[in-house]
Amino acid sequence: MKRNLYLLLSLGVLASMILSACGGAAPATEPPDISGDATEPAVTEPAAPAFSGTATITFTQEPDNLNYLYTEMWFSQITRDFWNKGLWSYDEDNKPVPEIAAEIPSVENGGLSEDGKTITIKLRDDVAWSDGEPVTAEDFAFSFEMVMSDANVVLTRYPFDEYVESVTAEDATTLIVQLKEPFAPWLTTIFDDWVLPKHILQPVFEAEGTIDNAEWNKAPTVGVGPFVFSEWESGSHIIFKANPNWIRPPKLEQVFIRIVPDDAAQEAAIIAGDTDIGVFLSSDQIEKLEAGGDVDVVAVSSGYSEGWFPNVNPDTAHPAMLDVRVRKALALATDRFTIVKDLLVQEVNPVNVTFWDGAEPYNNPALEPYPYDPEEAKRLLDEAGWVDSNGDGTRDKDGVELVLRYITNDRELRKNVQAVVQQQWSLVGIGAELQNYSSDVFWNGYNDGGPQSQGLYDIAQYSSVGFFPDPEISYNWLCDAISSADNPDGGNWQGVCIEELDALLKEQAETLDINKRIDLYHQISQILYDEVLYIGIWLDPDLWSINDHLQNVKLSGAAPFWNAHEWEVAK
Amino acid sequence: MTTYILRRLAQAIPQLFIISIILFTLMQGFGDPVATLGARTPPKAEDKERLRRMLGLDQPAYVQYLTWLVGNDWQKIDMDGDGIPETNGRRKGILRGDWSNSLVTRRPVLEMIGDRLPNTLILMGAAEIVIIIFSLALGLYSALRPYSLFDNLVTGLSFIGYSMPVFWLALMLMYIFAVNFRAWGLPYLPTVGMFDPEAGKTPAELIRHMILPVATLSIISIAGYSRFVRSSMLEVLSQDYVRTARAKGVRTVYVVLRHALPNAALPFITLIGLDIPFLLAGAIVTERIFAWPGMGRLFLDHTSRADFPVLMGILMLVSIAVVIFQIITDVVYSLVDPRIRLE
Repeated sequence: MKRNLYLLLSLGVLASMILSACGGAAPATEPPDISGDATEPAVTEPAAPAFSGTATITFTQEPDNLNYLYTEMWFSQITRDFWNKGLWSYDEDNKPVPEIAAEIPSVENGGLSEDGKTITIKLRDDVAWSDGEPVTAEDFAFSFEMVMSDANVVLTRYPFDEYVESVTAEDATTLIVQLKEPFAPWLTTIFDDWVLPKHILQPVFEAEGTIDNAEWNKAPTVGVGPFVFSEWESGSHIIFKANPNWIRPPKLEQVFIRIVPDDAAQEAAIIAGDTDIGVFLSSDQIEKLEAGGDVDVVAVSSGYSEGWFPNVNPDTAHPAMLDVRVRKALALATDRFTIVKDLLVQEVNPVNVTFWDGAEPYNNPALEPYPYDPEEAKRLLDEAGWVDSNGDGTRDKDGVELVLRYITNDRELRKNVQAVVQQQWSLVGIGAELQNYSSDVFWNGYNDGGPQSQGLYDIAQYSSVGFFPDPEISYNWLCDAISSADNPDGGNWQGVCIEELDALLKEQAETLDINKRIDLYHQISQILYDEVLYIGIWLDPDLWSINDHLQNVKLSGAAPFWNAHEWEVAK
Repeated sequence: MTTYILRRLAQAIPQLFIISIILFTLMQGFGDPVATLGARTPPKAEDKERLRRMLGLDQPAYVQYLTWLVGNDWQKIDMDGDGIPETNGRRKGILRGDWSNSLVTRRPVLEMIGDRLPNTLILMGAAEIVIIIFSLALGLYSALRPYSLFDNLVTGLSFIGYSMPVFWLALMLMYIFAVNFRAWGLPYLPTVGMFDPEAGKTPAELIRHMILPVATLSIISIAGYSRFVRSSMLEVLSQDYVRTARAKGVRTVYVVLRHALPNAALPFITLIGLDIPFLLAGAIVTERIFAWPGMGRLFLDHTSRADFPVLMGILMLVSIAVVIFQIITDVVYSLVDPRIRLE
């Protein structure tokens, strides 16, 4: 009897747990809210728009926040092409396309002042938020105010804090951005892909003193774009529904973003046809994904290229690194062509020459990658006085062994490259001390003990980009940006300081004429190439899969889903 | 009894308090949450400094712990960076029901857990039911026919099942039943998620999407637990009272179900009872592969970003569940076993 009671009680506890589990999960099994009455624009009754079909996209990471102010996640940023358009977007050639702005400001159309410090942006007068409220210059002025407010814990204020004096609404459709000094990358950094709805967020700011916890950050049911936010179920999916109020109404009924964190699972979902667009694929997946015939893998550059950043700071670098012949020898002694062939896919990831090879038109087509020439490398090292005098297999000079600290983060591919390079260097008598850091430590600033910023290396390897599609990255190579105890925020971790380079970098940062700027970048690339201050390893485009179920997809590196309004499903 | 329960609950308070201190100390080793906020572009040094100040991460660990525990709404904090506190703190502390906000999403931790917990419970609950039913059935049947062909087969399969890594099993099931079955034109299962966007969130969709993750979670546990049931049943079946019952001519079915099973099941129930609090924590690998939006993934995602308020929230929830289920287990023991007195 007692035993039965025990059994019954235990099973009762178990059953109650299971029942509560089922009860708790009820919301997940409710029928779908297709009516969307809470989120659908409330203003005009569209005359039965012919929206049809769903585009399913897999994201391998979940956006943390949808409000521009609180996220720098790429996966959040790219959703804004659907629901939070800014002044302009970028097409598949990364050329600016006006969205809320009526035209792209230029000196010719009077949008840019001669001194380059005043940008006057004409807005379209027919753009409305999804709830029908017009989008005006006031929304942009309010957005600036929110970025700069001390009451909001925003992720970054750049470039507003450094370059923008004021953002004002002259009238509803005229926005004036006053700069402190000419700032060449304005087109890709100032309201290009976001704006906040003043009529929604100002009341929150007034009531709570901050918009940090605004409901809109998680559920921006009022937006401006071809789609409008409908629902976000944490960890599962985000749904955007067609927005008939947008100036270019979409063809699809909805975009369904599914969060699939596991790469292998995403691959299975792509092959099975459970997703139309897959992201962040690796080159070794291409063959498998395309085998079925209904999936295309496309490489789209978002400006990234993998490269070596040599440390040439006399205070921290190995003495050999200060000699350009040694730096050149490092490049010549490394068979980057074979590395790319064996570890990546040559067609997708060719060896790059300059930092800007993925950011046309700022690349310098006249330059060729340093060849693989170990004999020439040996000759240069001999010439520089680095010879193996003690017969230990490693070159030395004045009692200092030529052993270089070669660092990168802990990504597996990079570790493999390190191992291959170490072996290749040994053939010419260069020793390599390989070090790997977790990403957060690798990128740390000087005061947080970052190995790069403190110069605890000779060669650092990583993939980087400017303000793509803008090439700006001068803080990496300006003399006054060299990081040190006195200048812990300096972004020039390599200790590069060349007068001519410095002048060119400063000039381009204030040059608004694109052709002139391209020419300046060609000169900059030439100096970096001659001085061997950047050694390209491979171009690092993003790989996307597109199922032929979804058509008219033209991905852009700068704003991937810029033409989402043209997408449609195959009949 | 009431006194006992009250005393145990009173003991639980310092217990949870100490757990929270240990967990918070361990959190300090998780890395820098601000460093991961920039995602692809590393955040600028001045932004990092400003964020640390605004989020209170520049304070010593014990101050951060106290803020997490009792809040800071009774003091002023420095938001504008001039070194003078001017803004009222907004946090209330966990003792007043404020489980803090995520550093990454800025959302209340309790709300984030509330989003995920039902998904985890439905998946883990279903898996637990399957595990119990199949472990009992297989273990019992094997014990009744020890060393038969069936028993040997189950033993062999159990070893295979038990030694399979979860991620491998999950991906194999996905490739066979979701990818290849579709390619071969057979009825197939979905790869990932909880429902198909076109079909919507219906119970049928949910069940279809649960089959593979539940199978993954169950196969390995069934392999282990059925062995457990088998051995404990074999032991009981050789006891004197079972022989006596048989000698008295009691029917086999009755002997097994009435006399042997309840005794053999006791340790099994203890084992299952220990599993229950951890149902809340979810299954990290299975949830990740099948893109199931549960607690395991919440934990994993926020571990990689050193989002300690969320991690603290999940770990404290599991700790509370463990403490409560320990008390419940003890009470249940005292009810069924006269030798145990809760005084």
